[in-house]
Amino acid sequence: MNCYEHTFITKQDLQLSQAKTLVNKYKDIIKKNSGKVIKTEEWGLRNLSHVIKNNKKGFYFHIKLEGVGKTVKELEKAENIDEVLIRYLTVRVKKHDLEENFFGEKGSLENKQK
Amino acid sequence: MKNRRKFNKKRQNSKYSKLNLFQRPDVKFFKPCPFSGKNAPVINYKNIKLLKKYISESGKILPSRITSVSLKKQKELSTSIKRARLLALL
Repeated sequence: MNCYEHTFITKQDLQLSQAKTLVNKYKDIIKKNSGKVIKTEEWGLRNLSHVIKNNKKGFYFHIKLEGVGKTVKELEKAENIDEVLIRYLTVRVKKHDLEENFFGEKGSLENKQK
Repeated sequence: MKNRRKFNKKRQNSKYSKLNLFQRPDVKFFKPCPFSGKNAPVINYKNIKLLKKYISESGKILPSRITSVSLKKQKELSTSIKRARLLALL
């Protein structure tokens, strides 16, 4: 099993229920393909440093997972088709760093609606 | 008390008195690498605050001869900056 960090950016106009189903959808894909979700983070709405596909802002989601090569392949295959996503990135790491959170939970969707 | 003062004076003089053409000075002129050694920060593509120190105003990666980052760490640094760029963080 390898450790991966997966980040994806979605479009700005996203409801809370939509975001939850989106994250759950990708979690299911990971679980189906012999993977394991360890932690999910929401970095919230952030300004993009440059315009991507006519978007200036985006919601960031971060998933720490364990899995094999096939897990990532299937995950990215599904994300390629998705129109809500702007961009994604998968990075392989030696060990998961579960303590440090550079972005915090301040901008997450649930906190904002409260 | 008298002895100590004398000792200090001697030391201050000796640091620069050697400085002539044929002797190497005791004073070090090079900067050590900021990422090696004890308590050094870990390079990560999510740590934007750290990465911003090593790019120019226009967003280019600074060369290691200016920042005195070692070769191994410069490689890590450049990949993590490129990852951050891909996610539009930098």
